[in-house]
Amino acid sequence: MKKLLNDPNDYADEALEGMCLAHPEFYRQSGETSRVIHRASAQIKGKVGVVSGGGSGHLPVFAGYVGSGLLDACSVGNVFAGPTVGDCMDAMKIADGGAGVLCLYGNYGGDRMNFDMAGEILALDGLASTTVLVADDVASAPKSESIKRRGVAGMIYAFKIAGASAAAGADLEAVTAIAQKAASACRTIGVALTPCTVPEAGKPTFEIAVDEIEMGMGIHGEPGIWRGKLRPADEIAAEMLQRVSVELELAAGDRVSVLVNSLGSTPHEELFILYRQIAKSLAAEGIAIVMPLVGRYATSMEMTGASLTLIKLDDELETLLKAPAKCAFWSVG
Amino acid sequence: MSWTAFDIEIWLRNCADRMTAAAPELNALDGQLGDGDLGATLQKCAEFMRLGLSGAASLPTDAFKTAATACARASGSSFGTLLAVAFMVLAKETADKRVLLMEDVAPLLEKVTAALMVRGRSKLGDKTALDSLEAIRLAVTNLEDPKDLQRLCCAASERAIEDFRMRPNMMGRARMFAEKSVGLADPGMVAVARIVGRPS
Repeated sequence: MKKLLNDPNDYADEALEGMCLAHPEFYRQSGETSRVIHRASAQIKGKVGVVSGGGSGHLPVFAGYVGSGLLDACSVGNVFAGPTVGDCMDAMKIADGGAGVLCLYGNYGGDRMNFDMAGEILALDGLASTTVLVADDVASAPKSESIKRRGVAGMIYAFKIAGASAAAGADLEAVTAIAQKAASACRTIGVALTPCTVPEAGKPTFEIAVDEIEMGMGIHGEPGIWRGKLRPADEIAAEMLQRVSVELELAAGDRVSVLVNSLGSTPHEELFILYRQIAKSLAAEGIAIVMPLVGRYATSMEMTGASLTLIKLDDELETLLKAPAKCAFWSVG
Repeated sequence: MSWTAFDIEIWLRNCADRMTAAAPELNALDGQLGDGDLGATLQKCAEFMRLGLSGAASLPTDAFKTAATACARASGSSFGTLLAVAFMVLAKETADKRVLLMEDVAPLLEKVTAALMVRGRSKLGDKTALDSLEAIRLAVTNLEDPKDLQRLCCAASERAIEDFRMRPNMMGRARMFAEKSVGLADPGMVAVARIVGRPS
């Protein structure tokens, strides 16, 4: 294992500590084990709190998206492991401005169990909470079993749109509804070239030949759709676009936002090579791109590869997507 | 025979010691199809349990509550949460008891299994720790002599591993490798067997 770290067991804690030291204007650490990241400013009274959580190793997801017009708080687990029930409870309590809390996170069993437990315990004290699961990874289960799909890069659109809705003063029911609408409008697929190494495990999450890629691989190394020889970028982009756009049933005149995301090590140059082909293909179909995003938005540490997310927009989603927001990793407006 | 809070604390501390001892084996097993952190998860739960179980529990429910809190604080991984849920159910179900009796064991296991199915959204037959708990419950139902308890629990948990070895995993990360999971012992089921331990 070749990583810039001290003790593998301190990886998540030291990364969070550094992030908060680097950006005190955005982040504060709280909770029994300092695994809750929340906004530097106090929670606004009467505003719905938007909370997320998940394992370390995906920055900027999840904790990086704490900021104005985005998340209010986030509970963070070890690398690729869910946050504890206690940290989920702390994040929800911190985010509560008296108008209830939306828990918005990826569809993973451990995260779901822990947030559910936290919500049930806090309900006894009168805290109202709702849950929206992001399940945008089309490769993780067939459309007929979309409830089993994992949440990946598409969750940043849900964060942005729910955060904007909460900031605009919508109540918990409305914020929950718009978060669900955003989550349901997203589709993502990833392609992996090389694995990453979980510090505590000390070995790569999967093995792959130097000339192979895996289409549809998940952000923890979950198996994809096919594994084969590396192909030209335009062919890869075309397949990724086809797989997500067919599910969104896109047609001429539709408007979408496009996220071409690095899984960690893939440079901007290669992301732009993919984006170039995707933009051309969408234009040829008469589909307009709104606010394209190209960069590192949801990673798997040093994994090489990229993901493509499309969100089909209507006026409501587009307005909220373009509303002002700011965190250390993303600024809108 | 009956078990007091003191006996329950000793049993829980012994469980913690067995969890620590089994950590390397469970990490290796979990690493075959999962993320390889099951042993580390149990190790953390065990550390927190030992810290909390100071011999001060006056009722069985207090000891179980301490174990539940320890596991909830120790880890966000699924198995740690499920352990917390299991101990929380035991705490709730023993709230009015000064001692536990042999006849309490099987009904408590049934309550635990039911709660875990709800929390984990899984069912019997999915090749998970639940199948081990159910095998143990069946083995101890109608058991009258507690001296056979450890032996029967151990045998049932070991047998459950083998009964399910050739089946595919239907839950968790391993379900994504369902074909590869055929022929492998489920790490969660092995964890139950190790926590139960062998008769001394």
